[in-house]
Amino acid sequence: MMPIWTKSGKRHAVTLLKVQDCHVLRYVSKEESGGKTAKLLVGGKNVSPFSKPEAAHQIFKEAGVPRKQKVTTFNVTDDAIIKPGTPLYAAHFRPGQFVDVTAKTIGKGFQGVMKRWGFKGQPASHGQTKTHRRPGAISTNKASKVYRGKKMPGKMGNIYRTSFGLKVWRINTIHDIIYVNGSVPGHTNCLVKVRDSQLPTCKECNKNPPFPTFFADGDEKLPEDLFDEEMFQFTDPSVTYT
Amino acid sequence: CRASGDGKSEKFQPPPKPVIIDKQKQRAERRFLSPEFIPPRGRTDPLKYYMERKDMIQRRKVFNIPEFYVGHVLAVTTADPYANNKSNRFVGICIQRGGKGLGATFVLRNVIEDQGVEICYELYSPRIQAIEVLKLEKRLDDNLMYLRDALPEYSTFDVNMKPVSRLDHEEVPVNELQVRMKPKPWSKRWERPKYNIKGIKFELPESKMKEAQKWSQPWLEFDMLREYDTSKIEEKIWKEVNEGLKK
Repeated sequence: MMPIWTKSGKRHAVTLLKVQDCHVLRYVSKEESGGKTAKLLVGGKNVSPFSKPEAAHQIFKEAGVPRKQKVTTFNVTDDAIIKPGTPLYAAHFRPGQFVDVTAKTIGKGFQGVMKRWGFKGQPASHGQTKTHRRPGAISTNKASKVYRGKKMPGKMGNIYRTSFGLKVWRINTIHDIIYVNGSVPGHTNCLVKVRDSQLPTCKECNKNPPFPTFFADGDEKLPEDLFDEEMFQFTDPSVTYT
Repeated sequence: CRASGDGKSEKFQPPPKPVIIDKQKQRAERRFLSPEFIPPRGRTDPLKYYMERKDMIQRRKVFNIPEFYVGHVLAVTTADPYANNKSNRFVGICIQRGGKGLGATFVLRNVIEDQGVEICYELYSPRIQAIEVLKLEKRLDDNLMYLRDALPEYSTFDVNMKPVSRLDHEEVPVNELQVRMKPKPWSKRWERPKYNIKGIKFELPESKMKEAQKWSQPWLEFDMLREYDTSKIEEKIWKEVNEGLKK
């Protein structure tokens, strides 16, 4: 995470996400998948093919791509279908867009009710016998049962969670890095799924993306760094107020 | 022939050859790499530190950040939307330098009208318009937080102080000042060995000093897992930073 300043002098914190060898693996049509839209399978981060059996390499051989560590699905409209085998780059996103980021949260293991659900526990003194971090009562007398989904101790973390509506501040086209506002679930160097935001307030901002994606062998030559309009670039002189 | 000879025939001793001290070489030997360039120990991808360093070098090309240590007296002008002239000047002694990368900070302390004031500035913030070094002197410690519990005369500096002139190739002088403290209680127990402070004149009785040594951890300096040898990393980063600044 890194600090970033706007032209008015305000400071924001930013997470760096690297796009590492992403390729489109397969196109699944609407009827095949049984959902409302067509799906595209995308894989990221190359990994050695020797630790899995030959049967698992089927998808990667069809696309002509080395074995990937993670395969995710994206719901896609019919005009945004991409041929399997095309690489995806960080320039697919542009500064000023809003993005949802999904990842597996840091695993904390088996945790008690105070850390996992934020219960208050009991006082440390004044006669409490062996009860300082326990849940207390778990149901009422009238219910005469414990409801499903009761918050109790258990394994915490290591589940998929999404942070919504994160602004993209900057994109580096050489190293394929996206600078995303705020924090992102997951530990450092973990794999993360980045998707156009589906929040109703962000639908207007995502109006002119490179569609269906940014092709590296196309005619467009992008500069090394793409900045958002409000962001302070370090080539400018210091901020002054008038 | 000599009139008053020694008796023994001495061989002619030629005069000693003049030693030429090249001042330019001396200047180049003194290197200063700002501590926020050195990456901390951890499992982060070095690419992240490389991107940060590029931004830091870019900022240094536009705005000059002078070389300074803890103990220097600095004057910082920042842009302030609520001030009269839209800018704000603060003079103070640098107590500590923290943070790595773009978020590196330094804390300046001064006593203004009997009120101690400390301001924490970010080195790479775009609101800073000028940093001037008024007085160059290193102190015996890296962290001068104990000035909060010292007598206020040690933290007062004149707001309209003139910068002290200094030659470029001289070493930064070390001020071996022993600071006198206010009576206890202090904000931290500065006599304990974990703070390793050499710049205080402790006027405590011997029994208190001995009791403080109970908390010493003499095994820490031999702990090999805590060692972080930064010499090779510093060499690489020094070359990278110099090349970046020359362009």
